[in-house]
Amino acid sequence: MELSVTQDNLAKALSAVGRVASSKTQLPILGNILLRTDSNRLLVAATNLEIATTQYIGAKVLKPGAITVPARLISEFISNLPKESVDLKVVGSNLHIKSGKYTSIINGVIADDFPELPTISEESSISYNIKTEDFKQAVSQTIITTSNDSTRPVLTGVYWHSHEGQLILAATDGYRLSERKLIDTKSEVSAIIPTQTLQEVLRSITDDSQEIDILFDETQVRFRINDTEVISRLIDGNFPDYRQLVPKTTSTNITIDKSDFVRITKIAGLFARESGGSITLTADEAKKSISIHSIASQLGENTSEASADVAGDGQVTLNSRYLNEALSVIDGDSVLFSFSGKLAPCVLKSADKNTNYYHIIMPLKS
Amino acid sequence: MHHALWQSVLGEIELSVSHATFTTWFKNTELVNNDESGVTISVPNIFAKKQFEVKFNDQILEILAKNGVSPKRINYTITATGKRTHINRETTVNRSDQTQTAESLLPSSNSTAYQTKSPLTAGGLNPRYTFDSFIVGSSNDLAYTASQAVAANPGVKYNPIYLYGGVGLGKTHLMQAIGNEIVKNQPGTRVLYISSETFVSEFLDSIRFKKKGFSEKYRNVDVLIVDDMQFIAGKEKTQEEFFHTFNHLHQNNKQIIISSDKPPKSIPTLTERLRSRFEMGMSIDIQMPDFETRCAILKAKASLSGIELGQETVEYLANNIKTNIRELEGALNQLLAYAEMRGISPDISTAEGLLGNVRHSRPQYITSKQIVEKTAKHFQLKVEEVCSPKRDKHIVVPRQIAMYLLRSELHMSFPKIADELGRKDHTTAIHSVEKIEKAIKLDYLVREQVASIREKLYA
Repeated sequence: MELSVTQDNLAKALSAVGRVASSKTQLPILGNILLRTDSNRLLVAATNLEIATTQYIGAKVLKPGAITVPARLISEFISNLPKESVDLKVVGSNLHIKSGKYTSIINGVIADDFPELPTISEESSISYNIKTEDFKQAVSQTIITTSNDSTRPVLTGVYWHSHEGQLILAATDGYRLSERKLIDTKSEVSAIIPTQTLQEVLRSITDDSQEIDILFDETQVRFRINDTEVISRLIDGNFPDYRQLVPKTTSTNITIDKSDFVRITKIAGLFARESGGSITLTADEAKKSISIHSIASQLGENTSEASADVAGDGQVTLNSRYLNEALSVIDGDSVLFSFSGKLAPCVLKSADKNTNYYHIIMPLKS
Repeated sequence: MHHALWQSVLGEIELSVSHATFTTWFKNTELVNNDESGVTISVPNIFAKKQFEVKFNDQILEILAKNGVSPKRINYTITATGKRTHINRETTVNRSDQTQTAESLLPSSNSTAYQTKSPLTAGGLNPRYTFDSFIVGSSNDLAYTASQAVAANPGVKYNPIYLYGGVGLGKTHLMQAIGNEIVKNQPGTRVLYISSETFVSEFLDSIRFKKKGFSEKYRNVDVLIVDDMQFIAGKEKTQEEFFHTFNHLHQNNKQIIISSDKPPKSIPTLTERLRSRFEMGMSIDIQMPDFETRCAILKAKASLSGIELGQETVEYLANNIKTNIRELEGALNQLLAYAEMRGISPDISTAEGLLGNVRHSRPQYITSKQIVEKTAKHFQLKVEEVCSPKRDKHIVVPRQIAMYLLRSELHMSFPKIADELGRKDHTTAIHSVEKIEKAIKLDYLVREQVASIREKLYA
């Protein structure tokens, strides 16, 4: 292999791809990045056998070929070079890199040992084209409620599925649940995408990307952002039928300014660290207010109050962290917060009638 | 018989690729179908599928052909099998320890929806390993009896119980049997089976990623089973963490079961406080099975597959594979698969033809000269020294061991043994053989030395 590329392109590709390479696995070559020529382009790829990321960059190819080299070393070397052209040349199993006054020889491993990268057929799969902004928001709204309990694999990802003509994202860890409607769809989709994959896609989004192409087939999914592709396995299994868990009616309904709600939740949370985040919310219809109470036996206690539109008195105990996280991803200036007594699920959503997102939190048993 | 066929394919591939490659790609694979349309192999994910299609396909076809199967093509399908080998209930357990808990959104009846197809039950136990399927012989009856006592009264008698012995002698089987028996007798008991390697890596993860719940996971169990303890050697911080876990469990009368390839004393770089704790319960070694036990194992395994093996065949296999039960089972599986594919009966001639493969690297006959040489080499002595009239202690014991081996492996007469080692009187040989026979029963060091020389002889 012998070729020239610009430092800028190569550094960007290496940093986009390199995060996936990991030396933690049993197979040492997974800590390497694959460089392979493809007519007049250079493929830069890495995989951890759950996800594979690839990027093509333009190159002046003198001699086709391939090599794998340790991810950290090459990324850091290339990113420290000045913005000039970089010459890459494979000699045996070594990669010779030359740029201006800088030369390096990196010991690599021949590319034959690198795992084959999965491919996805464009014809037999379902594709979506989603605005980066929408994607970012929808994923960050749902990803927070995924579980990291590996004994229930289906909960460790976000459930992308079609329902009544819409593509819907849902996730639950058994204690909270979130659902976001993304776009209209005519196709039938049902796929659980691993949390790690979605985080990787979020990180791959750069300022100049406008749209994301998503391609599903039965066992895998591919995301394409500009020239970067992320291919991942899907989680096998049936996502629980979560819609039956959403309460249809609630006895206490509160509309409150979001920033007020965030403030009193955060303050109350300071006194809830000892008790595992437990805070008690009381809604008073006559006083038109909601108050939060928390106790730390060693430190002291706190009561904070904010005015709100309240329909129906009630009290509920929640984990302040869960409440905080939910509020941080809800759109709009005011929030609708509803619950029914101390045991039933609480629902949080934007007070805007056309909202496409809701979040459910289970109360703590006191 | 798909499983047996696939096992023989795996067996051959394992020899040709590196260990890391083998565990990365061939774990959780299975041959699921074999008919006119071809062979179907299930693999865990898309990455494995692609890798098999491109890199391993030809090799698998070739090995299948050797086993008498020549499919038109191989299809690969993706099935989720147990992704983690340790499936446990602890995550729900440690939540209930907090003063307040969030009521779960998901009703527990839903849980069937996301059970994996893995045969593993909770706690990483494999239900296949039971006391009933364990074959008892003189080499392991003490370990067996003690394990049963532990299973009957966990946490009361023999805590911890420490089982040690070479590879493939049934340590894991016994430990899992204890776990399974306890779960059977007292459903709801929290049993956790892990290898010490899992403990180490989870501990490192908990430090590295500041994950919480590590110590709770291990401290909230009723029975903790740790396999292959020797891998914790030299890892100081992990040993310290394990020490605290151990103390916590022991104080609360929770049963701890440990296995290793060596007794606690012989594990280098095991901290003193862990060593003394491992020794405070009961340590038992499991030895190589004798000829009769090997025969019994073979018969039991064969009848599990629904095949009756002739006494001759059984004796032939048992005679030829002496060191390791896993190898014994492998040879049997290969024989059964081969016979099934070819439609012939698994008799002694088939076995002879096939075992040529298994033990191609082994000498058919051991000579007396080899025994003396290997023994001398093991003790870093010269053959002349062993055969000399010198009576220094460091030479006498090796000489006696050599005599013992000549007797036990070659059934030589005492006068010939004496002659072989330059002794005039055959009573010396009788005395030596008896002495080592006794020492083997009493002294671990002697037993280990004899075993390792024997291993070298047959290696």
